[in-house]
Amino acid sequence: MFRTAVIRSFAAATRTAIRPIPSVSARRLAIAPVSKPSSFVPKTVAWQAVRCYASGGSLERGEVYERIKLLLSGFDKVNDPANITETAHFANDLGLDSLDTVEVVMAIEEEFSIEIPDKDADTIHSVDKAVEYILSQPDAN
Amino acid sequence: MRLSGLQKEVLGLYRQCLRECRKKPQATRQHFQVFARSEFDKNIKVDKRDFAAIEFLLRKGRRQLEIYSSPGVKDIR
Repeated sequence: MFRTAVIRSFAAATRTAIRPIPSVSARRLAIAPVSKPSSFVPKTVAWQAVRCYASGGSLERGEVYERIKLLLSGFDKVNDPANITETAHFANDLGLDSLDTVEVVMAIEEEFSIEIPDKDADTIHSVDKAVEYILSQPDAN
Repeated sequence: MRLSGLQKEVLGLYRQCLRECRKKPQATRQHFQVFARSEFDKNIKVDKRDFAAIEFLLRKGRRQLEIYSSPGVKDIR
């Protein structure tokens, strides 16, 4: 999408730039105060279609929790989906063992397309810790 | 719950196994995950103070992971 937008805006820019070249005298006469705004309008419109990498992208706490909850409710080793709360502890509240916890953390990694290093993964033992960690990661989405 | 260094190593190995699973074809990935879990479950009863046994199993597991992570291995059952 980014590439097509770039090509489109480039084409729009060159189209207006090339047109006056054949008539050199005409270009000299009209010092192009009128054609300038019209040539720039399509360019900005095309650029607005591009979503820059720097824009937005931060996650809401509620949304992160909902996604983790959905992920956990799909995990068949959780003792009771009703136990999944904002502060649920994986081992104490959801009845998961340490290997299950590793699986959950890996699933969270995949869900938010980030990589959690072992050191941090060992500290994630509960839903609120997981939410906290995701929110602290700028790459998470 | 506080984990000992050895316990962390075991969990690290399991994490590594799951990471390797992701490199396998989508269709058989589940088989690899179930297999990895069953290998760990086989020795779930090992006492946590039995360092020699755990060290041995860790070495064995790492070797096994190395073998199965070769791209030639496409399925497991």
